[in-house]
Amino acid sequence: MDALQAILSSFLTLIPVTLAQSLILAFVVLGIMIPFRMLSFPDLTSEGAFPLGGCVCGVLLAAGVGPLPAILAAIVVGFAAGFCTAYIHLRFRIHTLLAGILMTTMLYSINLRIMGKSNLSVFGTPAVFDWTPFPAGFPAAKIAVAGLLVIVVFLGLYAYFNTERGTAVRAVGANPDMAEAQGINVWRATVGGVGAASAFSALSGALMVQSQGFADVNMGLGILINGLAALMIGEAITGKQTVLRQLLAPFVGAVAYYQLVSLCLAAGMPPPDLKLATGLFVLAMLALPSLKRGRGPRLAKETMRE
Amino acid sequence: MLEIRAATKTFYKGMPDEKVALNGLDLTLVDGQFGIVIGSNGAGKSSMLNAISGAMALDSGKIVIGGADVTAVPVHKRAMRLARVFQDPMKGTAASMTVAENMLLADLRSKSRRLRKGLNATRLADYRERLAILGLGLENRLDTRVELLSGGQRQSLSLIMAVGGKPDLLLLDEHTAALDPRTADIVMKATVKAVETLKLTTLMVTHNMQHAVDFGDSVIMLDAGKVRLRIDGDEKKKITVPDLIDHFAVKSDRMLLAG
Repeated sequence: MDALQAILSSFLTLIPVTLAQSLILAFVVLGIMIPFRMLSFPDLTSEGAFPLGGCVCGVLLAAGVGPLPAILAAIVVGFAAGFCTAYIHLRFRIHTLLAGILMTTMLYSINLRIMGKSNLSVFGTPAVFDWTPFPAGFPAAKIAVAGLLVIVVFLGLYAYFNTERGTAVRAVGANPDMAEAQGINVWRATVGGVGAASAFSALSGALMVQSQGFADVNMGLGILINGLAALMIGEAITGKQTVLRQLLAPFVGAVAYYQLVSLCLAAGMPPPDLKLATGLFVLAMLALPSLKRGRGPRLAKETMRE
Repeated sequence: MLEIRAATKTFYKGMPDEKVALNGLDLTLVDGQFGIVIGSNGAGKSSMLNAISGAMALDSGKIVIGGADVTAVPVHKRAMRLARVFQDPMKGTAASMTVAENMLLADLRSKSRRLRKGLNATRLADYRERLAILGLGLENRLDTRVELLSGGQRQSLSLIMAVGGKPDLLLLDEHTAALDPRTADIVMKATVKAVETLKLTTLMVTHNMQHAVDFGDSVIMLDAGKVRLRIDGDEKKKITVPDLIDHFAVKSDRMLLAG
């Protein structure tokens, strides 16, 4: 009984810190969801765009640039990364996943070039989290700033996807041939959508650097699988039948996933096993439909699950 | 108006499996004309439609729609002038989106899309009215995702989407071939009604000889990438199914002799 109480109490004390972290990382999950679900463009760029945003933000903070301009710069550079991935796919007909891996690999070198070294401390420089009435450095300040940003982005995207242009972007994901036949420029929608998604991933990286006080080229390692796991949990909770539900999924999923991770750690799971556990979880979620189908006859044409 | 001038297209040029799809095809439809295209498999019907819609680039030749040369214009810009209904009901609609959203997409085909709310009350009322013409109850299912509709309902929706906005040219690519006879009849009647009321310049590809006899004011028979036979006016009104089949028969006899 005592052991259970200890686990519970350490989990409970961690809730605010984990919540702050998950609200920041929710933007990576959003950056994974938009290409994946809205554009049918499975994209891995976020694995590189997240540290890219972090590195750009870190270098600018170290150079004395304000926290807000540093974040804006990260967003612009992140957009460029996604733009490149989409362009590589569209122009050279390279599979979206391969295009994303290429970009992520190249971004690793670029991130090292930007920082000049593998990690950079920006501890003590001003951050956007200082601008709240809460004491700086405490989770409440981070929750307030990241939470506000989450609400603004969510409402903005919800409104956008219901506009004439946003509907057209969704049509590109639903049926690109039909979209083109209805006069929609598929190139522009794809490049813009994947670019925006990477911009969100970079925003997340920038916020993370300001939150933790340092930038590291390896900060994106495994972020994609974490994000995917979060998205799947989110979709299991909210569903994905409507734009509203689909848009809620990354945010709800991020919060739920990181609390779950925190609970596992509090229960004594060794941190090195975390990636294995997350990977197995994603695998299970992807395998579920085929397991449910059971041992019946195989489908004549095996369709790939992306 | 539609004008195709000396259109040529060869697939796998210079290779052993070279295939001539279009071989100097000439075709003109004046404003409001309803042309029915027939021809055996491989005659070039699909290639012609793909060339008109822009999905396939020509080797040489010219395509003019509504007075504008569109030969080098990409698909999404040609959409300003033409609408197409495909044989496969899945192709012409966005399955994961609602009926109303699909109508909106078609509604904006020739307009510029802006950052304002897409589905407003005026539009929804308009869509309801336009869908009611079909008599399939689609007007009460505006919020249903299209993937939940039957093939016939989806194809009827595709048709209403295509004729909205009065395109300069309507392309119908065997659009009733995948439907059961009763639904095919509903879709065909709706097609004729729309084409006649809106006086649309229309090109319909079909394998159904009865349709070729009953509808349209011109029968165009393609063979080996060219127009082999065209029957217009009073002569078209008198034509019967056996007459049309005779034209196919002549061709296959010749193919036998040549072989």
